[in-house]
Amino acid sequence: MLLALLLAGCESQPQVTFADASITPPDDPIELPEGPGRDAVLENCTACHSPSTMLQQPRVSREKWESIANKMIEVYKAPVDEAAIPAIADYMVAVQARGEPQQPN
Amino acid sequence: MSKLEQHTGTRLTRRALIAGAGGAALAAPVLAQELGRMIDLGLPGGPSLRPLTPAFPGKGEMIVQRIRPPLLETPMEVFSQGTITPNDRMFVRWNWDMPTAVNAAEHRVAVGGAVKQPVSLTLDDIAAAGEHVEVVAINQCAGNGRGLSNPRVTGTQWGNGAMGCAKWTGVRLKDVLAKAGVAGGATRVRFAGLDVPLTDGAPQFIKSIPLDIAMRDDVLVAWAMNGEALPLMHGFPLRIVVPGWFSTYWVKMLSTIEVLTGADDSYYVAKSYRIPAAPITPDDKDFPTVEITTMPPRAFITSHADGAAVALGKPLVLEGIGMGGDAALERVDLVGDGWAIPCELGPDEGPYAFRRWQVTLPQVAGNLEKIGVRAANVTGAVQPDALNWNPSGYARNVIERITLVAQ
Repeated sequence: MLLALLLAGCESQPQVTFADASITPPDDPIELPEGPGRDAVLENCTACHSPSTMLQQPRVSREKWESIANKMIEVYKAPVDEAAIPAIADYMVAVQARGEPQQPN
Repeated sequence: MSKLEQHTGTRLTRRALIAGAGGAALAAPVLAQELGRMIDLGLPGGPSLRPLTPAFPGKGEMIVQRIRPPLLETPMEVFSQGTITPNDRMFVRWNWDMPTAVNAAEHRVAVGGAVKQPVSLTLDDIAAAGEHVEVVAINQCAGNGRGLSNPRVTGTQWGNGAMGCAKWTGVRLKDVLAKAGVAGGATRVRFAGLDVPLTDGAPQFIKSIPLDIAMRDDVLVAWAMNGEALPLMHGFPLRIVVPGWFSTYWVKMLSTIEVLTGADDSYYVAKSYRIPAAPITPDDKDFPTVEITTMPPRAFITSHADGAAVALGKPLVLEGIGMGGDAALERVDLVGDGWAIPCELGPDEGPYAFRRWQVTLPQVAGNLEKIGVRAANVTGAVQPDALNWNPSGYARNVIERITLVAQ
């Protein structure tokens, strides 16, 4: 997809040629630590985004996790089951309490 | 079936086909197998480790903040290598999944709203809309450095690598607008790209700028980045370039230009990407906000990392980059506890570009505790000693401090 810049004889502007572009993004392994509530997170959160969005957050309160999940429903219209929010919040609070994830081998 | 549907078992109505959502599963290597190297971003309280990987198409080694939609950060070492950030090291940020394929011949840019004659432009129409212009400008995420906020705030936990400087080539936005003719009463110009929400009813990532900014001579509809076609992850085939403004306005995969006659009440302008109208404390709850717009000055030491060893009794050369933000950089000072030493500025590549700085200390007499560099621009804006804390972690420009250990 290199851009071809060709000077045309009688025109003041260089001609720009646009070629099609495509990429194959890397796979998303959806790696989530084990723990109670993991299934709720898999069912409700990781369809739209990678788990790292949650796992890399600073440690916040259970209420904050609940408000984040509610924002996903209210603002981003995510198909999150409201009944699953307590389990999602439990899971995130527990994972954050464990601290920094270990470097994979 | 989309990934969203696979995971939820729910058939969702999609506003547009996202080519990438299904294709991701076909990618051969599992990224995790390549995540052998980690980098510590020094985020207070953690989690601070991030994978470094060259696994993304067209990218060199990048810090992975999120695989999908991609959020890739530039390692700070890249900024020690020059003022231009190579395309394969430029940070990547998408709010929603982007298509993974774009057909150039079929792509159109609709120009409508408060215009005399709505038009649908091909890429060739865009390239022929006016004089071709090159601008060297820093593209910086509004949330760059958010992860360093203290107290911490939620959101993408960037270190300081959600920025880069490139040479952008395109035509002036005002020349593209002229193809449709701006009608009377116009106030703002709004942009939309091919990235659309996965879910029905979610806000599309659309952004607008005031008409006077849109008509600036250096605001572009760009197709090239550092002399090459915009890589897909950087917005192929076209993106908006607003020098001096945060990159949230530099809409990628541009497909719609809409002239507005009033305020923009869309989510990412009216509700998100906003900062307190006046300084607040972390305890403040209700306060007026304004949309984030221009960038403040910043500077970074790139020759030495925090905690690096320096030779006791020897001269020390420190180097780095600075930026003026929405106006040219005027000066950079090396600062410590109660002292400041002016730095020598490198070649000027334009008011919106990174500029190198250098300073030589005649002799290292001991540890250099919490030193930093302080940039000031020609309008008098200067980096503050204390963080302008805000709950979204936007527009960080506190002086970044490091300690060098003499030995």
